Amino acid sequence: MRIRSSFILFLLLSGAAAAQEEAVDSISVSPSVKEEVEQLKMHNESVNEILLEMKSYIDLSRKLKFSGYMQTQFQATNGTGNGAYPIGGFSGGAFPANVGSRFQVRRGRLKVQYENDITFSQYVLQVDVTQNGLGIKDAYINLKDPWTRDWNLRMGVFDRPFGFEVAYSSNMRETPERSRLAQTLFPGERELGAMIEFQPEFEPWSNYNLKLGLFNGVLPNGNENDSRKDLIGRAGVIVPFEEANAAVDGGVSFYYGSVRNTSKFLSTMNGSRFTVDSALTNNGRSSPRQYVGADLQIIYDIPDIGGISLRGEYITGRQPGTAAANTFYNPSAAGTPLYERRFSGYYVSLLQNIGTRHQLLVRYDVLDPNTDVEGSGIGAAGSATTVGDIAYATIGLGYLFHLDENVKFTLYHEMPVNETVNASAAGALAPYTADVKDDVFTFRIQYRFPY
Amino acid sequence: MKKFIALVLLAAFPASLFGGEVITVKGSDTMVILAQRWAEQYMKKNPNVTIQVTGGGSGTGISALINGTTDICDASRPMKPAEKQKLKQRFSTLGVEVKVAKDGVALYVHESNPVKELTLRQVKDIYTGRITNWKEVGGKDARIILYSRENNSGTYVYFKDVVLETEDYAPSCQNMPGTAAVVNAVAKDPNGIGYGGAAYGKGIRDMMIKADDGSPAFLPTAETVGNGSYPITRFLYMYLKSRPAGEIKNFIDWVLSDEGQEVVTKVGYFKVR
Repeated sequence: MRIRSSFILFLLLSGAAAAQEEAVDSISVSPSVKEEVEQLKMHNESVNEILLEMKSYIDLSRKLKFSGYMQTQFQATNGTGNGAYPIGGFSGGAFPANVGSRFQVRRGRLKVQYENDITFSQYVLQVDVTQNGLGIKDAYINLKDPWTRDWNLRMGVFDRPFGFEVAYSSNMRETPERSRLAQTLFPGERELGAMIEFQPEFEPWSNYNLKLGLFNGVLPNGNENDSRKDLIGRAGVIVPFEEANAAVDGGVSFYYGSVRNTSKFLSTMNGSRFTVDSALTNNGRSSPRQYVGADLQIIYDIPDIGGISLRGEYITGRQPGTAAANTFYNPSAAGTPLYERRFSGYYVSLLQNIGTRHQLLVRYDVLDPNTDVEGSGIGAAGSATTVGDIAYATIGLGYLFHLDENVKFTLYHEMPVNETVNASAAGALAPYTADVKDDVFTFRIQYRFPY
Repeated sequence: MKKFIALVLLAAFPASLFGGEVITVKGSDTMVILAQRWAEQYMKKNPNVTIQVTGGGSGTGISALINGTTDICDASRPMKPAEKQKLKQRFSTLGVEVKVAKDGVALYVHESNPVKELTLRQVKDIYTGRITNWKEVGGKDARIILYSRENNSGTYVYFKDVVLETEDYAPSCQNMPGTAAVVNAVAKDPNGIGYGGAAYGKGIRDMMIKADDGSPAFLPTAETVGNGSYPITRFLYMYLKSRPAGEIKNFIDWVLSDEGQEVVTKVGYFKVR
């Protein structure tokens, strides 16, 4: 009987249900064994039910992904920190007056992503938690075209499709912050809008990509205040030289938009001076926000040392700003006089990998927020120019150490050099008659998961 | 602080200064047995070298290559453009692709299954859910039970791209964590069908495959995979982030040598040279 029962159990465990039934039927067994078999069958079914339930959780865990990173840092400046001029405004936020060093949680990101692996549709939500509170960074839906999967529609809050640096993730980026150029033109990087992306996976077109989007043109979390939309696009190409283990990537971008003046004051350049038009009709009038840019990234794998990359980007155009800054003019703030400026800027960075863990970096970053006026013209009597017109060139030197797949250390020293303004300049411009002391040293630890 | 300095020193200086060289290999489950055999034989010849082999799937191996936690990634599919882009961003390199073996992706069925051959079109229709009963392809009247791999598997991606011509798998497909799991499932399921590396085809029956109705049917053998007559033939790859140097280069050179390629044959795959 023991042999017979073992035989039946073996058949049961083999998983061939049909075979089991046939075997049981063909062998004469006692009622107690039949009962035992029935119990085992029920047990088997209950185990199957548990496994099926577990499988549904496993399937969900594959689709629902959590990732995040945190950047904590210590910064110090050689400036006086007495509040006479801002320090570190493009290095993670201006140092408060009388503060020469500080600790910060620069970024604390948590990203939740759900992807349907059949249709490849995607839900993405990313929040940022720092000492300043909680903010939404990304909140968008991705839908791939069901036929070719080469076209993608994205709608929500996400990076604007302009150039290279704006969309280059902060957790991958080697410098602590984006260039002064990118921060001035694209504060927060993101915007509310919709974008079509063409990214074919088939050869030879996989080396080309195209992004075109319509955006509110306000701020990432700001509500739209007019019916005009900003059109932004980039066409990119990748040219690999696999034999040489080198590649050249590049793209051209444009931004075609406008903002609504919320005051009657419109200042435009006339020669090297601002002229103010205060006609009532200026209130509600749109001023152009138009950029064109080109970006280039060259990489080469140096044998026995590691890859080297040279990246550069140039942008020029027209920017509506305020008196104090050529950064974004916020049309949500009522009664703000609008200043129209022509600008240009670029950055060049050189990154050398040494082995898999070490990286050396140098970056040169230039922004001239008002190309119609030179340094000596800024602050000149009657020019109505401000600190928002001063050009900067910044040299940054850095070293990065990747401890493991999660932890990265960054040491970075940046040395901004401002354009020196007219010697007679007074008020907020007075410190800029010479290069101000505003170097910033950053020691950052980044932890991210999963890598 | 001392701990931190020690960690930095350990990271900065190669392990070879303190002892033997350690090479990490991670990736394709299809290739894991092959990789282990290569490692064993190479370590016998070079006792100062340690080669650590782990599976996890081609996607997992490629991720490890991108985040710098493996020296060599084994992959049963080519790297995707997006993956190359990530490697480029992290290391400023394009990566180096080395074809190390050839493989026929076999279609496994239960030994009792009367169907002996399928066309590529029929395989596609089965896996996309258009054909759901074995009687539609000359078998018994029974529902076809589909076994597949998970989407981090290079075989999953290759099969989808080449056999399904990028169409989606049928929702009823059961995704298994490894090729061995597919083989086990099919061995126990008279109505099952699965796919995977030819080297795994033990204890189940390989289906003969025809390119189309008018073509002859082939089993995945050394000859048919080697000369390309078996319709589902692919390369197996090793990927490195940079051009290999030192002991890693020696190991790759040995893998491509006659001796290394003999291992390929012994494990059940097919030589590339």
